[in-house]
Amino acid sequence: MDRRDFIKVCTAVALAPPSFITGILRAEETSFKPYKKALLVKENGEPIRPEDVSPLKEYIFFYPYRSTPCLLMDLDSEVKPVKVKAKNGESYMWPGGVGPKRSIVAFSAICSHQLSYPTPDQTFINYYPKGKVAKVAGRDRVIQCCAHMSAFDPARGGEVIGGPAPFPLTAIVLSYEDGKIYALGTLGREVYEDFFDVFKPDLRRLYGSSRRAKELVDRCVVMDITSYTKDVIRC
Amino acid sequence: MSGVSRRDLFKIAGAGLLIGSSLHTSTACAKPVKTAGRMLPPPKGNRVVIVGGGWAGVTAAKHIKKEMPSADVVLIEKRKIFMSCPISNVWLGGLVDMDFLMHDFHTPASKYGYTFINATVLDIDRSKRRVYTNEGYVDYDYLILAPGIGYNYDAWFKGDKDMARYCATHFPSAFIPGSEHIALKRKVHNFEEGTFVLIVPPPPHRCPPAPYERAAMIAYVFKKNRVKGKLIILDPKKDIKPKGPGFRNAYIELYGGLVEYVPNAKIKEVDPVKKVIRTTAGDFRFDDANLNPPHRAGDLAWKVGLVNPKTGWCDVDPLTLQSKQDPRIFVAGDAASVKGFPKSGDMAHNHTQTMVVKALVALMKGKDPKEAVRAPTNTCYSMVNGDPKEAIVINVIYDIDRKKGAPVKKKVNVENRRSEQLARATFEWARALYRDMFS
Repeated sequence: MDRRDFIKVCTAVALAPPSFITGILRAEETSFKPYKKALLVKENGEPIRPEDVSPLKEYIFFYPYRSTPCLLMDLDSEVKPVKVKAKNGESYMWPGGVGPKRSIVAFSAICSHQLSYPTPDQTFINYYPKGKVAKVAGRDRVIQCCAHMSAFDPARGGEVIGGPAPFPLTAIVLSYEDGKIYALGTLGREVYEDFFDVFKPDLRRLYGSSRRAKELVDRCVVMDITSYTKDVIRC
Repeated sequence: MSGVSRRDLFKIAGAGLLIGSSLHTSTACAKPVKTAGRMLPPPKGNRVVIVGGGWAGVTAAKHIKKEMPSADVVLIEKRKIFMSCPISNVWLGGLVDMDFLMHDFHTPASKYGYTFINATVLDIDRSKRRVYTNEGYVDYDYLILAPGIGYNYDAWFKGDKDMARYCATHFPSAFIPGSEHIALKRKVHNFEEGTFVLIVPPPPHRCPPAPYERAAMIAYVFKKNRVKGKLIILDPKKDIKPKGPGFRNAYIELYGGLVEYVPNAKIKEVDPVKKVIRTTAGDFRFDDANLNPPHRAGDLAWKVGLVNPKTGWCDVDPLTLQSKQDPRIFVAGDAASVKGFPKSGDMAHNHTQTMVVKALVALMKGKDPKEAVRAPTNTCYSMVNGDPKEAIVINVIYDIDRKKGAPVKKKVNVENRRSEQLARATFEWARALYRDMFS
C-alpha cells in the first residue's frame, strides 16, 4: 500500500484527524500496519452488510492471517475516534466505528495478557453484547478474558479497563465501502509473533503447518461465535 | 499406633533419610562460605541476580529482559526442573498429568537472553553484593530474592529436629513442590479406610484457598475409591476463607458424610508418632494425614537477615518490594510481606511484573521506581469436583494509593457457584501463565 492509498484508507476509515496520520510514523506500536485488504463475508459467501451484524451477538473472523482470530461487533451507537495510549507511553488515534451508524468495530481476539484465544473447543475471551453483563467487569459491551479477568473497552479502541493486560487489544482497521465491510490492517501493538511461537503445536494440528497458519487472507468468513466454538466461557 | 517407637524414630532420623533444607532454623547472617571462583565477569552496573526460580523468579527474569534488553540478568535455581505448586492439587486429584506441572528453565533463558545457573545458593554477602553457590560466586548490582516459603516445624516441635524430620518424612506437607507432592498423592490414592486429617496452616500461608481445594480433591478421590472413612479438616480459623460458601457447598453437596470441617482448631500439639493432634477444638486421632505446619519465609531469607522474626516474613516497601533492610535487594513472591497480598502463584507472577520489575527497571534507568509501579490483580481458581470437573474463583483488583504509598484492594469478585466452565478456565489460567514463564 503506497502513501496515496494509505491516506485514502484513512479517510475512508473514519474521518481520521491529522494526528492519526502523523502518529503512524512514530513507532511500530502506534502505527497502522496494512495487510491484505479482505472482504468480510457471511458463511454463505455473500458480503456481510452492516444490517447482518446484530448488536446482540458476538462474531468471529480470522484476519490478517488465516489462524489469527478477531471479534466483530456492532456497539449499536456511533463509536467516535479516540486517542489510545500504547504501552510505550505514546498514543495513537483509533478511527472508531464503520458502517452507516459508525457502530461496527473489530479487534484481535488474542488476549494481550497471555494470548488466550478462541479455539473450536472453547473461548475464554469474548465480547459481551448489549444486555449481556460481564460479571467481573460489571458491564456489557465489553471484551473480557476469563483466564485472568482482563477487560477491554471496544468503544475506546480496545483500551484496558481492568485486569492484568498490559496494553490494548490490537485493533482491526475496517472500512465501509459500497455497503460492504473490509479489513485493511491492524492498529496498536501486535502479538502475532508470540502467538505463532507459543501455539505452534496447536496451529500445526489445526492448519497442518506453521506456514499454512501464517497465510494472509483476502476474504474473511464472519461467524456467530457459537457456530465456531463449542463452549463460550463467560465470567 | 504407627508401630514406630521413639527409639526407631531416632534411628531413622540418624540415617539421614530426609535432610531437608526447609528444616533449617538459622536466623543469623552466616559468614561467607568458601566456594569455587567467580562464575561470571564482574557486573557493569546493570546486573540483576535472581535467586530462586519459582513463579516470581522466572517471571522476573523474563520481564526484566523484555523491559530492558540491555540488563544482565542471571537466574540461579537449585532444582533441575520446574514443578508448579499451583494446579498440584488438581494433579493430586488425578485430573491432569505430571506433564502439566513440569517445565524447563532452559527454553525461556535461551529465548529471552538471560543466564540460567543451576546451582544451590549457600550464602549472600550483602556488603560485597556477592552470591555464593556450590558452583562458585556471582556478583550483583541488584538482587531479587525469591526464596518462597519454608516450613516452621519449630512452632510444633520446639526445636526437636528429630521429631520435625519424622513428621516431614511420614506426613509431608506438600506445599513446596517436589517429592513431597508425590508422597502425598500416593497416600491419598492408597487410603482405604479410617480417618485422614488435613491441617490448615495458620495465616498467612502459601495460597490461602489451597488447603480447602486440596481437601476437595482428596474427598473426590476418596469418593471415587469408595473409601470407608472420612477426611477431617482442622482449621485454626473460625471459617473457610476465601471462597467459603463455594468450598462448604462442595463438601456438603458432593462429599456429604466424607468431609468433616472443624473450625477454631488451633494446634496445641502434634504427635506424628502416636498419630494424635491436640487442638483448641478437641483431640483427633488419625490413620493418615497431610500435616501442614505454619509457613514462613524461605530459609535463605533468614540466612541473609532479611526476615522480621516477629512475623516470619520479609519487610518490604509495599510499592517496590525492596527490602527494608537493603534497598539493593527486592523480595519477590511469597517471602515478601505486603498487606492485602495473598501468597499465591498468580500474585507472585503479578506483583513481580507490575511492581518489582517496573521498579527495578526504573531504578536502573535513573527514574523514580515508585512512580513506575502499577497495580496488580490476583485471580485464583479452585477445583472442587473431579467428575465433572468443576471450579470456583476469586479475583481481586488492586489500586495504588499514591498518598499512602501502598497497594489497596479496589474490588473483589467471587464466584462461589461451581461450574464446568470455571474448571476449563482454571486450566487456561494455568496454561497461560506457564506460557508466559516458559515458552
